[in-house]
Amino acid sequence: MSSRGTKQKKGNVTNEQEEEDQPLQAVLIADSFNRRFFPISKDQPRALLPLANVAMIDYTLEFLTSTGVQETFVFCCWMSNKIKDHLLNSKWCRPTSPNVVHIITSDLYRSLGDVLRDVDAKTLVRNDFILVYGDVVSNIDVSQALQEHRHRRKVDKNISVMTMVFKESSPGHKSRCEEDDVIVAMDSKSKRVLHYQKTQGLKKLQFPMNIFQHGSDEFEIRHDLLDCHISICSPQVAELFTDNFDYQTRNDFVRGILVNEEILGNQIHLYVTNEGYGARVSNLQMYDSVSSDLVRRWVYPLTPEANFTDQRGQGCAHSRHNVYRGAGVSLGHGSQMEENVLIGRDTSIGANCHISNSIIGNYCTIGDNVVLDRAYIWNNVHISNKVKIHQSVVCDGVLVKEAVLLNKQCVLAYNVVIGPNMSLPEGTVVSMHHPEEEEDDDDDEFLSDDQVVGNSKDKTKQKGLVLNPDPDSDSESEASDGSQDMGSRSVSPEMDDVKVFQLEVLGTLQRGEEENIGCDNLVLEINSLKYAYNITLKEVMQILTKVVLEYPFQQQGTKLSSSQYTVLLLPLLKKWSPVFKNYIKRAQDHLDCLSAVEELFLEQETHQTAMVKVLMNMYQLEILEEDAILKWFSAGATTDKSRQLRKNQGLQKFIQWLKEAEDESSEEGE
Amino acid sequence: ENYHISWQDSRNRSETTLNNMPGADKETDLSERIEAFLADLKRGGSGTGPLRGSGEMARETTALLRRITAQARWSSAGDLMEIIRNEGRRMTAAQPSETTVGNMVRRVLKIIREEYARSRGSSEETDQQESLHKLLTSGGLSEENFRQHFASLKANVIEAINELLTELEGTTDNIAMQALEHIHSNEVIMTIGRSRTVEAFLKDAARKRKFHVIVAECAPFCQGHEMATSLSKAGIETTVIADAAIFAVMSRVNKVIIGTQTVLANGGLRAVNGTHTLALAAKHHSTPLIVCAPMFKLSPQFPNEEEIFHKFVSPHEVLPFTEGEILSKVNVHCPVFDYVPPELITLFISNIGGNAPSYIYRLMSELYHPEDHEL
Repeated sequence: MSSRGTKQKKGNVTNEQEEEDQPLQAVLIADSFNRRFFPISKDQPRALLPLANVAMIDYTLEFLTSTGVQETFVFCCWMSNKIKDHLLNSKWCRPTSPNVVHIITSDLYRSLGDVLRDVDAKTLVRNDFILVYGDVVSNIDVSQALQEHRHRRKVDKNISVMTMVFKESSPGHKSRCEEDDVIVAMDSKSKRVLHYQKTQGLKKLQFPMNIFQHGSDEFEIRHDLLDCHISICSPQVAELFTDNFDYQTRNDFVRGILVNEEILGNQIHLYVTNEGYGARVSNLQMYDSVSSDLVRRWVYPLTPEANFTDQRGQGCAHSRHNVYRGAGVSLGHGSQMEENVLIGRDTSIGANCHISNSIIGNYCTIGDNVVLDRAYIWNNVHISNKVKIHQSVVCDGVLVKEAVLLNKQCVLAYNVVIGPNMSLPEGTVVSMHHPEEEEDDDDDEFLSDDQVVGNSKDKTKQKGLVLNPDPDSDSESEASDGSQDMGSRSVSPEMDDVKVFQLEVLGTLQRGEEENIGCDNLVLEINSLKYAYNITLKEVMQILTKVVLEYPFQQQGTKLSSSQYTVLLLPLLKKWSPVFKNYIKRAQDHLDCLSAVEELFLEQETHQTAMVKVLMNMYQLEILEEDAILKWFSAGATTDKSRQLRKNQGLQKFIQWLKEAEDESSEEGE
Repeated sequence: ENYHISWQDSRNRSETTLNNMPGADKETDLSERIEAFLADLKRGGSGTGPLRGSGEMARETTALLRRITAQARWSSAGDLMEIIRNEGRRMTAAQPSETTVGNMVRRVLKIIREEYARSRGSSEETDQQESLHKLLTSGGLSEENFRQHFASLKANVIEAINELLTELEGTTDNIAMQALEHIHSNEVIMTIGRSRTVEAFLKDAARKRKFHVIVAECAPFCQGHEMATSLSKAGIETTVIADAAIFAVMSRVNKVIIGTQTVLANGGLRAVNGTHTLALAAKHHSTPLIVCAPMFKLSPQFPNEEEIFHKFVSPHEVLPFTEGEILSKVNVHCPVFDYVPPELITLFISNIGGNAPSYIYRLMSELYHPEDHEL
């Protein structure tokens, strides 16, 4: 018997396996660990929410299977039983499935980090694996990326730990998730990531200079990338998550690796494709755009009529203008399906309806004279006559009574009954769950909802339904289904970082003093702290100066006399001068250092006499140059206090002395 | 352990046709192969997916059907036909645009009918030529239930399928062999896109004759570029033109030779986008239009069956995803196929010789049993 079929089919898979001789594995995280889809996700985990009438996790599994994955570990936390049931009944768990699916559930997972630590603990992965979330929709062929990844690992001996898959798409594309907007600096030749930063809510971008100094001479800074949330990881990734128990998300991981690159020697690479489609349904806005991309066939061959899940009766017919009709759909007289419409099986639509850019699930009944535009209607929904729905989501089992108007960005969660004769203002979320349940948790997007049991004819109740996020984020984009930016809120206030950094530097110096650690090591530690807290060089210097000058106070209390202070400080300055020299190089650095000194002595008014000695000492230790000191003295006075400071006799004398010394030296030079 | 539970569950559910096999290994092996083939079909069919070219698709399908015949559990021709029909239905549903698959299923069904009839001692030939009178009185074509058991049937069917496979292997060569009868020296020949059959046809003629080929590039996929490269490597003088220039260039062309995806029951074509334009231009200039189509592309379908006719792929080629904002404001479509009505076609060249479009119905009735038109 000829075995052409299988040879052909496994052709591209086996090629790669000849080298590795291991089945390709994937880790699929069927939990989002956030509450973007609340209150919908209260009744159904996000991975099972229907996207063009197919559960999201099915798209992810189809993507993995078609890319050649033979073993997938599905990690579930929230409502794991539902996900398990779904998978056990799907084609993925049939014995003929080329992709063996293992379901691992635990209530203890709280983040991506927890899952990967568990992967490491159970030693599930033996080789490079693909890491995705259960809400990724993609048809990208990652075998090319996989090959590049393996090649790199072979050549560079396990230096590269992760390859992230990104898709080219210019800013403004609606399938780019604002939360995921990143700016990436990468080496053009090796595709190595040098800098990675989320840009949401940032008006100013900062790049550390050192990324441009080492490495090759060609690099790119790109903002035209869409994060597909598909990463090819080496087994080390799981180990690194175990080693760094503070890593929660992939973002933490990427930042951590980049910061510690010099120490750990690990690198992250990028695979940029312009073929195929890849996006993550991370919020309602993305739900809207990915659904519409699916219907517009961007994810071909994962189209609605393909029925890739092999569900009986799920198939539908595709006709012109991207109108898809399932089996048993009935359409009343005069009803129009304009374009980009998907109607599920056994749904009946009344007369004179007008439907465009909408997705309707299975077993729905829709009355007469209904207008649906960009409506996402799930299963078993009843919509009565004269209802108008614009750009809204209507979940399973909802009953919308007569003449209800849903304005943009409304959400009717599971089993809500609403109407008749009412109009929901923009951004309303109605759910059967009491709003107090989630009030303590302010990072979900549906800030307020109301319990509407039975008929909510009560017009006054509507006031409670209004979604009222921060006014500025609301007006940001017309399509942002309440996707108010979490990012800007969670961006840590800079002050804190600086303070923590200062304490850490102090701790480092103390240890250095106690254990007699060499200056080189101190520099190294401060450098790593600098990266960890994302501190600029200027700030490092100012903080270092401050910490060193305050050091005697820290040790002996603030009641030291000036002379005692000087006695304590001078040996320290001498000891740590290499540390200073490491940071103070350019002219600007000197000035910054001087202003830090000035600032400190403005605070410690009683010790101003010591300032001259400090400056003198720093000059003699060649930490500061005379030009800089003179420049600072002549230019710096801006406030009364600093003018006062400059009138200090000792200082005046010191400056005088410096000037003379300069004159002498210049005379000598002539 | 989850996996094992589901394994048990789905065995009873999913394999309705094949679950009587004695050896579980054999059975899973077969159904795995079928699933893999279905998955490949779903991922795009010929041209875009893992399986390239409809010739290969035809051979794959036939080989799989032979495997089913050999490995599935059946006792009579009726059982086997039911199994093949069921699998055939799934295969055609997986990628309706890939008509070759359905055609091969019909061919195999016809083989089973013939072998059964021969085992019984009657000739299928006479059965098929039923008179109008008999048709009317019997109330249906088949009184035969195919229930009789013949020990030799399996071997005979497999033998016949092997013959079919041999025929499929030779189709392209058989068509190419006829090239010298149609292409003469110093002719200008136009073609569109890339067809493996046409490529072989032209290359065969180029061994003896000098002629010029104009290739319409067939945007947005531009398979024409590939075709032109391949032809010029074979030493044929080749020019690539934009699709929009087809009409303008047509006046210089002596013959149009194209391939097709499917030959429909009415003698029309379902061919790559742009072929209709080409055919109309040829008609306008009275240029003969020759279609190189192996027999396995003959499909008992009519162009009015809209649902299976079209295939729309990702709009990426027309307007790239990188375009950004504009994409949410426009609808972009990327259809793959054109319908060419039979009156625009001069001649079909198949592996068994040249035929006029009006003769297609006759070939169809020779290849397929009328009852198998609907799987």
